[in-house]
Amino acid sequence: MIQSLANWILSFDILSGLGSSLVWGLSLFIVAALIFVFVAVNAIVLVYVERKVSAFMQVRLGPMRVGKFGVLQTVADALKLLQKEDIIPEKADKVLFTIGPWTILVASVATFAAIPFSDTLLAANMNIGLFYVISISSIVVLGIVMAGWASNNKWSLYGAMRSAAQIISYEIPVGITLVAVVAVVGSLNLQTIIQSQGGVGNLFHWIPIPLPNWYIFHSPFLFLAAFVYMIGATAEINRTPFDIPESESELVAGFMTEFSGLRWALFFLSEYANATLVAFLVSIVFLGGWQSPFASYSGAQAALLVISLVAIMWTVFVKVKIGRLSMYPLGISILTTMAAWLFPGFAIWLASPGLFWIVLKAASIIFLLMWFRWTFPRLRVDQLMYVSWKVILPISLINLMGVAVWMWLSGEIQF
Amino acid sequence: MSYFNNISNAISTLVDGMKVTMGYFVRPREHVTLQYPDEVWPVPSRNIGVGELDAYNTIRSKLTVNINDCIGCRACERACPVNCITIDAYKGGPEEDLGTTSNGTKIKLLVANFTIDMSECMYCDLCTPPCPEDCIVMTPDYQFISNDNLKTEVTPEERWRDRDLLIYQFSKVPEEERQRLKTEAEEAAQAKALAMAAKKAEAEKAAADKAAAEEAAIAEGVSSQTSPTQTESSPAQDVIITAHPANTEASMETANSVQDVTEAEELTQVNISMDTIAPGISLEDKTDLPESENISGEEEITRINIPMDTITASITQEEKVELPENENNSGEGEDSEDRTTEERENG
Ligand code: SF4
Ligand code: SF4
Repeated sequence: MIQSLANWILSFDILSGLGSSLVWGLSLFIVAALIFVFVAVNAIVLVYVERKVSAFMQVRLGPMRVGKFGVLQTVADALKLLQKEDIIPEKADKVLFTIGPWTILVASVATFAAIPFSDTLLAANMNIGLFYVISISSIVVLGIVMAGWASNNKWSLYGAMRSAAQIISYEIPVGITLVAVVAVVGSLNLQTIIQSQGGVGNLFHWIPIPLPNWYIFHSPFLFLAAFVYMIGATAEINRTPFDIPESESELVAGFMTEFSGLRWALFFLSEYANATLVAFLVSIVFLGGWQSPFASYSGAQAALLVISLVAIMWTVFVKVKIGRLSMYPLGISILTTMAAWLFPGFAIWLASPGLFWIVLKAASIIFLLMWFRWTFPRLRVDQLMYVSWKVILPISLINLMGVAVWMWLSGEIQF
Repeated sequence: MSYFNNISNAISTLVDGMKVTMGYFVRPREHVTLQYPDEVWPVPSRNIGVGELDAYNTIRSKLTVNINDCIGCRACERACPVNCITIDAYKGGPEEDLGTTSNGTKIKLLVANFTIDMSECMYCDLCTPPCPEDCIVMTPDYQFISNDNLKTEVTPEERWRDRDLLIYQFSKVPEEERQRLKTEAEEAAQAKALAMAAKKAEAEKAAADKAAAEEAAIAEGVSSQTSPTQTESSPAQDVIITAHPANTEASMETANSVQDVTEAEELTQVNISMDTIAPGISLEDKTDLPESENISGEEEITRINIPMDTITASITQEEKVELPENENNSGEGEDSEDRTTEERENG
């Protein structure tokens, strides 16, 4: 994408006088700025969405007063945070305190360089993309420890130490789970991983339910691996139920205790950037990335018909049994089905891969993360370690071996 | 095996919880949020079956006074258990016509100051039944936030910190006029007190003469036991009426000390219960003080436990204490005693 942007800039006659290396640097800067803008806007939107989701789950309304339905609430909050006084505690380690939040932000923004948003929309097509993402996102823990240590505050230090322990423990099962997928694909390149998931096949290759060729449906082991990865990733990005590094009821705000204003906003930004990253990674590795779930436009029509029939049945069932239900899911599915049958162009668009699909998948995963957050109680530190070392790690190891056996049995690899 | 049981337990309970939250998520219209300034709860009816007046069937909230109907009888002030109503009413001149109330009662007193401290009011509604003109009433308005406060000239910053905003002034008499009436009344009362004191000194002198005469009589063999007690008790009773900070007569001082003894006893009793709250102050400290001087100390000790609001409120009340007392004293024993305490503190 950087190279194509550079070529595009050089294709203008007036700009072709610029040196190609200068133009390349300019394109680099533009792409980096685009990614940062994406992360920032994404955080603002997600904070609003999260507040609304939490409110609806708790029978509240959420922000309602700034703008229609409170849509401008987070914009107002962001402006307030930017205007706040920049406080560095007197006894804090000023250098580490200053660069800590930036380290976290840089680490979480830099990971997006390797995330493919579509087959062309990708900042850097690396053959070690997955490896890059995992390793860069681990730098976050460095920033957290820096911030916690530099604050010269016991809560911050506790938070940072818990965070370090947690991220390091969960990185192992998460890595092993991803290795299971890499074993199937035979590549660390994220584009290759996505490209190998196109088309429609049977569930687990043998059960005759037509489903997209996503790795979550590849084998029972990868199906389990997707959930294991979700759990581990939730822990890695310090979200509830694994938010013990910043557990409000125990550690004030954990490693963020002493931070305010812009620096605090950076923590928030990177928190949501990390959540988004995990969502994108799950959709890339397990849900086929920018691949459409439909193989062809007639397949899209048929699948949507099935989906709306299921929606109707479910709605009737819930209406009879509980009596109260929002009609939006039903309405949306029926409308989409009708549109797909009436306008073949729409069905063709649905069946083609693109940005829409990866964003939709990532959004669903983010919603799932929010759903987790507003449902589950926080784990204790020892329970956290128990889950990591005694439950998730064995399961992921068994998964890895199971995937290998599965592939041997299904004839995908031969010895 | 319990290992796998644990895992399956965890998964099933987590799924249960997720079902619950999703259940609420898909029907968001059942929210419990009240969008306060736009929506308010309906004001409940307080129909307790007594009285047909509408005023009795609404909730007890903000008080309001129809000052045009107020005759300044101070019945509401006396009824209030927390003394948050302060009324200063002055006699109009003989040629002055203050008009009549809507009931046809002639207004004889000019109500120059009528404040209700809304931060102290506990909405007990005890002040409204005694009002002979039904002019102090409870309104169903419970929202104390408003822009059209009685003191609209206050800047927003002051609005936050100025507690006085909750002292509602209902009298329409302008501030200078109120001050003038106050000083006039004070001067008059002072003159009166001086006259009283002079009179008392005379009476005491007469009593002393009488005692001397009696002593002479004792020397002659005739004894009387009742007269000394009479001489002692009479100043103690008078104190209630005449005690005033301006008074510096020697006779008044003795009278004060007599009053102080009773006061000190009362205060010690109060302190015993207060000790549970402020255990650091020992009882001996209070009781061993010399009786005539311990009042200030006692006062401080008792007041330690009273919240700041009450202290400021009582100070404002003290400042407003006038001397139309002399007119009212005959009827209100309790009230006037409170007054004397406050006044002494003032002095
Ligand atoms: S309602 Fe009760 S507390 Fe309030 S002013 Fe009337 S008597 Fe006093
Ligand atoms: S009882 Fe009624 S008339 Fe009397 S002072 Fe109070 S408000 Fe006025």
